[in-house]
Amino acid sequence: MPEPIIETYELTKYYGNVKAVDHLNLTVYEGEIFGFLGPNGAGKTTTLLMLMGLTVPTSGTATVGGYDIIKESREVRRIAGMLPEGAGYYEDLTARQNLDYIGQLNDIPESEREKRIDELLEAVGLTKWANTKVEKFSRGMKQRLGIAEVLIKKPKIAFFDEPTIGLDPQGTKEVRDLMTQLNKEHGLTIFLSSHLLYEVQQTCHRVGIIRGGRLVAADTIENLSKNIAEKGRMVIEFKLTEIRSDLIRELEAINGVTHIKRGEDNRLYVYMESDRSREVSETITKHGSIILLMKPKEHSLEEIFLKYYEREA
Amino acid sequence: MAGAITVCRKELADHLGSKRYIVLFALILVLSTLSAYQGAEYIKDNPQAGFIAVFSGARFGFSFTSLMVFFGPIIGLSLGFDAINKERTSGSLSMLLSQPIYRDSVINGKFLAGTAALSLLTVTTIGIMSGVAMSILGFGPTLDDASRIILFTLLTILYLAFWLALGLLYSTVTKKTSTSILMSVATWLFFSIVIAIIAALVANLLVPITMPRDTSGGNIAKILRSPEFRELLRRRFSIQMNIQRVSPAYLYNEAGASILGISGGRLGFIGPGGGRPFKSLELIEGLTASWPQITAIAAGLVICFVASYVLFLRLEIRPGG
Ligand SMILES: Nc1ncnc2c1ncn2[C@@H]1O[C@H](COP(=O)(O)OP(=O)(O)OP(=O)(O)O)[C@@H](O)[C@H]1O
Ligand SMILES: [Mg+2]
Repeated sequence: MPEPIIETYELTKYYGNVKAVDHLNLTVYEGEIFGFLGPNGAGKTTTLLMLMGLTVPTSGTATVGGYDIIKESREVRRIAGMLPEGAGYYEDLTARQNLDYIGQLNDIPESEREKRIDELLEAVGLTKWANTKVEKFSRGMKQRLGIAEVLIKKPKIAFFDEPTIGLDPQGTKEVRDLMTQLNKEHGLTIFLSSHLLYEVQQTCHRVGIIRGGRLVAADTIENLSKNIAEKGRMVIEFKLTEIRSDLIRELEAINGVTHIKRGEDNRLYVYMESDRSREVSETITKHGSIILLMKPKEHSLEEIFLKYYEREA
Repeated sequence: MAGAITVCRKELADHLGSKRYIVLFALILVLSTLSAYQGAEYIKDNPQAGFIAVFSGARFGFSFTSLMVFFGPIIGLSLGFDAINKERTSGSLSMLLSQPIYRDSVINGKFLAGTAALSLLTVTTIGIMSGVAMSILGFGPTLDDASRIILFTLLTILYLAFWLALGLLYSTVTKKTSTSILMSVATWLFFSIVIAIIAALVANLLVPITMPRDTSGGNIAKILRSPEFRELLRRRFSIQMNIQRVSPAYLYNEAGASILGISGGRLGFIGPGGGRPFKSLELIEGLTASWPQITAIAAGLVICFVASYVLFLRLEIRPGG
């Protein structure tokens, strides 16, 4: 049974009248990659900043690794690292110097620091650039330096705020692979804020969906998808050898089938309120047509999340 | 505290390697050495002047104090004006504050580093000036002179640290470095030029110089020497002086003169008001005389620092703004 490592209690942040985060209750378990999804302005960044003690909540609180984010925020920052949105570096310093400074701020003794810096530069592929000033770095290189800065403290939890934004496909894949690897090999709990659905699907075990500062759902993608499917209508796609018009009429007569759509290539889309796939296929066979293909039409990720985003709008 | 020391070390290294600091340091060093050289030459001709005259600029009126009056604001402000807002816009501040340090370590460390850089500049410059003067004169300062020099060094550091704290405040209240640099330049111009103009204008308004109409017989020189006219000038001067006391540079100038034991008005940047370098005040007297000015500068420093400290702790840290 996994232990909760992040728990928020009615966490709230107002900017004037704007409810950036609104009574958020959320649990993240040790060792998981938790995806934090939401449209722009949903309150993802604000939540992360509060958890790391960079912004003070208006009300409510949270614990990270057992530490209270308000009373023990420094302890939180000892065991948790964050790659903030729009993170920046000391442009006049080299990658190594940047890392060294962050290492010093984490009270890592010098010999240990040097060792870790070498390892991290290797891990994020910056060894060749170790002694180059950061002003000469590309965006992707800076992002990798940022990840190294998060990891130098050997955190138990890492917060990444849209870590692949602005990266090319290669860089994106590298960052994702690195996250997965850190999670698998070191048991690092990762809290990933993103609005890239595919990214979340690829990497996250569980997702939380936030909208207008409120948590609308938190579950595995599979379950979220199932929920949407049950609530909405079911669609099954068929490919047949032939389609006669009386077949369509007969199918439409089946109790529970709402309507039929014809597609190209002898395809049929059967819309139903409840699962009638058995009756439908029997009727088709009775009419002498052969079913070449039959599969439930899946909701795309976009569809799923748009449904959640729109809900209680 | 450990966090503040780490921040301080890094910031100090940044300052010492920055072009800004190096250029200002070199400028002050060259000009001060020159003034020390001139001062020493003067002492050679006027042995009664004493070693202290090295800093008072002698007959050239071009002294270390006047250099600091003019350049002090720009030195202090330039080390502080972008301390916070630059890191805020670049996004390194949110990275820094994600580390296990208290937030005030950042501003404390930055202030300490700036003060250390300013102290280095002051101590080095005054040290080199003394060295140059000693090698020319063949004798060093007396114990009394040495104590004055040490006190004067501390005063200069306090004065520069005030400007640093003001710069730090500017960097905390503004989001863009372009705004805070503008504010710094405006401050510098105000205290080094505008305030003198204002003082003169006000004096002119309050105590206009009236020339008697019936001067048909008497000559101008006689009027100028008359006690009434002298009283007029004295009043004008005192009005100007009191207005200029708003300026920390002016206060520093006055306090410096008292500590060094030079009486007789202000030490202008250039010009004949360069101050007769005769010791008129004993060390303790000088210190007592300069106390109000020292207190005022220190109060200004504390106000600026506390304001930036409080504002910084409440700052909404969002990358990019
Ligand atoms: N300093 C601020 N002052 C006022 N309102 C703010 C401030 N910062 C954020 N907000 C508001 O808070 C809300 C949440 O913003 P937040 O940055 O947390 O969203 P987000 O989910 O991270 O969005 P994005 O995907 O665009 O990064 C937004 O409506 C935003 O306008
Ligand atoms: Mg965001």
